[in-house]
Amino acid sequence: MITLKNIEKVYQTKTIETVALHNVNLHIPKGEFVSVMGPSGCGKSTLLNIMGLLDEPTNGIVEIDGKPISRYRDKELAHIRNQKIGFVFQSYHLINDLSVLDNVELPLLYRSGTSASETRHLALTALEKVGLSARTKHYPTQLSGGQRQRVAIARALIGQPELILADEPTGNLDSVMGEEIMNILLTLNRQDGTTIVMVTHDENMAQKTERLIRFFDGQQVSDAKTTAYDFQQV
Amino acid sequence: MIRHLFKLIWNRKRSNFLLITEIFFCFLVLFAVLSLIVYNVRNYNKPLGFEHENVWLLTMRPDTDSTALNRQTLEQIIQRAKGFQEIEHVALTNSNAPFAFSQMNNDLSYGQKKIMADEYLVQDDFDKVMRMQVSHGRWFGEQDNASHHYPIVINKVLQQQLFEGEDPIGKLLPRNDSSSYQVVGVVDHYRPSSEYTAEEPGFFNRIHLPGNKNDFYGELLIRVKPGTGVEFEEKMVKEFSGIGKGWTMEVATLEKMRQNKAKMAKVPMIALAIICGFLILNVALGLFGVLWYNISRRNGEIGLRRALGASANQVYRQFIGEVLVLATFGLVLGVAFAVQFPMLQVFEVESAVYFIALGIAVGLIYLLAIGCAFYPSRQAAAIHPAMALHEE
Repeated sequence: MITLKNIEKVYQTKTIETVALHNVNLHIPKGEFVSVMGPSGCGKSTLLNIMGLLDEPTNGIVEIDGKPISRYRDKELAHIRNQKIGFVFQSYHLINDLSVLDNVELPLLYRSGTSASETRHLALTALEKVGLSARTKHYPTQLSGGQRQRVAIARALIGQPELILADEPTGNLDSVMGEEIMNILLTLNRQDGTTIVMVTHDENMAQKTERLIRFFDGQQVSDAKTTAYDFQQV
Repeated sequence: MIRHLFKLIWNRKRSNFLLITEIFFCFLVLFAVLSLIVYNVRNYNKPLGFEHENVWLLTMRPDTDSTALNRQTLEQIIQRAKGFQEIEHVALTNSNAPFAFSQMNNDLSYGQKKIMADEYLVQDDFDKVMRMQVSHGRWFGEQDNASHHYPIVINKVLQQQLFEGEDPIGKLLPRNDSSSYQVVGVVDHYRPSSEYTAEEPGFFNRIHLPGNKNDFYGELLIRVKPGTGVEFEEKMVKEFSGIGKGWTMEVATLEKMRQNKAKMAKVPMIALAIICGFLILNVALGLFGVLWYNISRRNGEIGLRRALGASANQVYRQFIGEVLVLATFGLVLGVAFAVQFPMLQVFEVESAVYFIALGIAVGLIYLLAIGCAFYPSRQAAAIHPAMALHEE
């Protein structure tokens, strides 16, 4: 699905040079649920941005479905993001002036060939999947944190992406809400075969995934299968 | 996408209220100024109905009250004027000569219709002096001397208003006394007031010196040969002063008088355009500032949209689109107000003037909106999505 080869990311200002990622090599196969852990500032989010084609590596190659994307133009990268990738953020990133339904419909706004009625149908289906069918006309400010994150997941789902990139999706939630969100992600991965890469600080959540990669100071320090994944009941 | 933009702006109507109000008022002012400009320009492009180049207006003021003596002197002056080689034609008129600051009107009635029309007293050679063409019927002539009625030549506006589809030639129109006017001719146009004013209903009444011995006419229109200048003017006035001893005489070219009249129309137009320009500049700066602020406030949203699959170009188009939608909200209100003017025939101006002004004002507001949104939208499109999401 996605491969990173010798990825290096350096942030440079006039006075300082910060290495965010150094010599990262990763292959995420289709259908895998991977968690990424590490202390703050170790490069997890940078890694996710590079995987999500929101940022370019300073050096190295990113391949999506075996094709290097380094020569792709902005329009082509946007197309891949829209077609193949869904994003879930720690702070939800919902537009407060749009209703739940309109927020969920957003990705299809940038996809040609989907009619308004089809978009509506897909949005309602996505909201049903995350258990928010009753909140379609609400606005984000009228929802709890967990509900907002479920809206964000529905938004990530609507385009039926092959890959979901989740940046600390349970980071702003209490443990019960966090569990709920985690269960939704696990269901998506197991039932729909969606590939998920999740950045988390929570060891328990990470252990529920199939594979755990640890980062420290911009470097990948471990990459191993978890033990609990196969035995979990969703 | 358009539906999405309308929804977004509608949901943000409270925060956009001031901007929409500003666009609404800007549109109204622009509409008012443009209506005035369109009205003037349309009039300017219409024919005057006469040629004013090489025509002078000699204004004479006698120093005695003896009409008989004054009339005798006046006729001598006219005879002398006709004798000059530099002069092609002369004709007496009353004080409302072309481009003069004077007006005279009279009620004309036909059947049930009664129209207030401008009245111009002119001598038979007026058509030659002003090079006017009669489109129907004839101009005044010797054959009118024996007429029992007062011959008049009307303009087309008066013909349409008073006679509608009827042929006006030969029709009798009652005067205040027991006599009548009789229409002998029609001219297509006659707009002596100014190039910028609309044509009003008007008619020419004949000055026949032997016929009205008690009247004195102090305005003499003189068509001189092309190239005749100040030297001749001095010579002519000197000779006329010799005939009319003690008379005050003043010569003005119709071209100079036209310019003075034009100034009166242009000055308020320019003043209003300047005020309107400042207002538009103010609105533009406001719009630009608000957009700039909005974009910096919406970094997270921009990052999100990029993450969801919007290209930089789509972000750019979205912000331009938002401003256009915002302008549309202001314009819908403005247009709803502005269309009342042609519908209610306010100021009795042609509806086309209002509709043209409305169209231009709408176009200019959209251009202004695009102009103001251009740079902030480009900035929005250039925002790095990862950075924008991180900042949020």
